[in-house]
Amino acid sequence: MISEKIQKLLFILPTCLFLLVISIFPFLYSVYLSLFQAKLTKMHKKFFIGWENYYVLLFEDDVFPTAIKNTFVIAFSSITIEIILGFIMAKIFFEIRHLKFSNTLRTITIMPIMLTPLCVGLVFLYILNPTLGIFSYILDTVFGIEPFAYLGESLPAKISVIAINSWQWTPFMMILLLAGLMTVPNEQYEAAKIDGANWFHVMTKIEIPSILSFVLLGVVLRLIECIRLFDIIYITTRGGPGISTEVMAFFTYRTEFRSFQVGSGSASAVIILIISLIVTTIAVTLLRRVEKNEGLS
Amino acid sequence: MKASVRKNFILLILATLITFVFLAPNLWMLFGSFKSQNAMFALPPVWIPDFTYIKNFTIMLSESYMYLINSIIVTICSTIVSLIFSLPTAFGLTFFKFKGRYFLADWILSTRMLPPVAAAVPLFILFKYLNLLDSLFALIIVYTAFNIPFAVWVSASFFKKIPIDLIEASRIEGASWFHIFLKIAIPLSKGGIATVAIFVFIFSWNELLIALFFTVSESRTFPIFISAQVSQAQIIWGNVAAATVIQSIPPILLTIFLQKNIVSGLTLGAVKN
Repeated sequence: MISEKIQKLLFILPTCLFLLVISIFPFLYSVYLSLFQAKLTKMHKKFFIGWENYYVLLFEDDVFPTAIKNTFVIAFSSITIEIILGFIMAKIFFEIRHLKFSNTLRTITIMPIMLTPLCVGLVFLYILNPTLGIFSYILDTVFGIEPFAYLGESLPAKISVIAINSWQWTPFMMILLLAGLMTVPNEQYEAAKIDGANWFHVMTKIEIPSILSFVLLGVVLRLIECIRLFDIIYITTRGGPGISTEVMAFFTYRTEFRSFQVGSGSASAVIILIISLIVTTIAVTLLRRVEKNEGLS
Repeated sequence: MKASVRKNFILLILATLITFVFLAPNLWMLFGSFKSQNAMFALPPVWIPDFTYIKNFTIMLSESYMYLINSIIVTICSTIVSLIFSLPTAFGLTFFKFKGRYFLADWILSTRMLPPVAAAVPLFILFKYLNLLDSLFALIIVYTAFNIPFAVWVSASFFKKIPIDLIEASRIEGASWFHIFLKIAIPLSKGGIATVAIFVFIFSWNELLIALFFTVSESRTFPIFISAQVSQAQIIWGNVAAATVIQSIPPILLTIFLQKNIVSGLTLGAVKN
């Protein structure tokens, strides 16, 4: 018979060791590398330069500050759109939840969430293609707008990235808020009806307050995803035109694996890491609090 | 009564329109996968393609079956290994009362939220040193590590539903923790474990960034193959569409099975259904 203590350790220790080696070590090693001037192809020739990489990234070069700014512009716009549209969609699906087909429609609507982000990017690359894309055709025949390379110009490219990102994730916000609306006790709706409250009052006084924690949860989880936004950018705009859709994760990838500047790339990785840690701390605290209250439901 | 019927009708139409917005782009890509290069460029567009034209699929599959097999191997192995590590840990964090278990759980969760791009180069150097670069093994290890935190948290949320009395009764009868884990916890959480497995499967299947860093030739996964199709000078859109359709099949089919648990999974167990 194995002792109680060893049994318990066998349950938990392997995972902790595994995560230490594959998750924690790399992050710490990134911090270490960020203090060196190093090329991936000549790793033995690295030399210590202290904070230089950070200084150059943040103060001497415009690309990285732009990448930070773009990441947050994209995150902020996408999440705002997702919440507004997600709420409207949740309301509609909430109202028809007893009807036939409502389940089928909802299942189809949430498909994009689980789709490979790369494929989502490709689908829109195909649709937005100026010569054979269906978007150009509709724009041209219905509105008479000449097709142009939507991803080749600064503002349209930015809008496209935000739209693609929101298209994939609005359904997530929808089902999250739908779950939230399900928690509103029926009596509250009844009471509001008796008091003669209109829909606006019902929304602002009953629904929004009770789904606020769901919205918060959604925002935090989405923020974490947006900070690491990579796949869609990689396949659609590659950060371009120029640096107008450059984001932090893509910048890091380019610096490390296209120019092989591991030191500088690691510095940008560490900056992403610090930003993520702040958001993560908020997220973990929130999830832990929710979890202690036996979940949101 | 009549007013409410009309209201339902309007709402149903709105819901159908919404569904269309989220379905149409994928459907258009699906249609595209049955088009020849000529049909692709036709004006006005070919709305309904000839569904017997499957050359795009045969070309893509014959060129890429090895990458597809790589993807399948990596995905299945990392799903299984993630569960082997995560389930006992989730069980322990749920039922063992020890100091610091909340801290440990939070620490595990937080590793899930760190950006993979920040770990890529150190892991690249580590695997280069171990001579494991461009191997499926390296991908399996990394995907497993990235999925463990998710799997631990979501499985724990399912283990919590097991009545604690059941566990305590078995303890009093002298059952070992291993026995309780294998004979009580696992069978009672089958549905939850399936949910976790499906999520982990899809996450691994969809992964691009780490595969870009790690795989050069033999161990390339299917997403890497697809993205290479687009960087060519002349894009054969029919082929790209076919490859996209192939890549999208597993996530779409599996989402149907997730249905009820999808919110719970996507919020790391925070929202119960």
